[in-house]
Amino acid sequence: MNDPRARRVAVVADSLLETTLDELGRNGFGIIQLPPAGLDRETTGAWLEQTAEHVAEFRRNDYEVVLVDDGLLTEGLNAALDVLGVPPLPQYAIQPPSTSKLMPDT
Amino acid sequence: MVSDEPKRVAFIAHCLLNQNAKVEGGAKRPGMWEPVIDLLRERGYVIRQMPCPELAFGGARRFWGVREQFDTPLYRRHCRRLAKLVAAVIAQHAAAGDDLVLIGVDSSPTMGIDFTPSAPHWAGKPDIIEDDSALVRGDGIFIEELKAELAERGLPEPRSTGIRHWFADYDPEEELRRLGALLK
Repeated sequence: MNDPRARRVAVVADSLLETTLDELGRNGFGIIQLPPAGLDRETTGAWLEQTAEHVAEFRRNDYEVVLVDDGLLTEGLNAALDVLGVPPLPQYAIQPPSTSKLMPDT
Repeated sequence: MVSDEPKRVAFIAHCLLNQNAKVEGGAKRPGMWEPVIDLLRERGYVIRQMPCPELAFGGARRFWGVREQFDTPLYRRHCRRLAKLVAAVIAQHAAAGDDLVLIGVDSSPTMGIDFTPSAPHWAGKPDIIEDDSALVRGDGIFIEELKAELAERGLPEPRSTGIRHWFADYDPEEELRRLGALLK
């Protein structure tokens, strides 16, 4: 059966979802959205725990998993991953905006 | 600056933003299901992705399944655990007066909204050649648990519909019209 999944997953901070969605989509990433701000500590911790379970399952099956991070939940996510024996995720390098418009026409 | 204006917020099935969560053979796109994501963004909706109960429970290599196979007390407890997290976020938005919608997947035993697959005879060796399951009216297991959790908390059920891209008679135009009516 034809299945076009790219086997690439980006774990994305809520604050960065909108600005990185186009680029991640172009590069074939599926997204796991991190929880929004404003939740109580217990709920945020439980949310990161289930996120880590998703990540662990993808890593166990050799999917590429990267992190698009604003730093707010990094510590909690890494702790939840560590419980499952998963090392911290590599950071995805967000592509800078094209500078082509700044170049003079030739 | 963060606006205090009420927002439009869409709670969506995990796989609409992450096709990798589908059962093997079930993805339609490399990464995300753009027809829904693009429409939500065009209409100015904040996206809130829900967890994928099946991925966490059955794993990335799980077999396809129907509602009767998933409908166990343990799977319901797992779904309720995740539903509590989603309900906490819904509570946050409801308190802010935001307009909420829920978008599931109508071919899913877990995330179905208006339909869910049923086959009471499916069991044992996974060698069903032809898919003889039926799509029946009703919610998937997670959606049922989410609605129960919202009711316990006294929270309203968001307006909802399900994506039908795995229906044999799938009509993209009908789906866009249905989504358009939901999103207002």
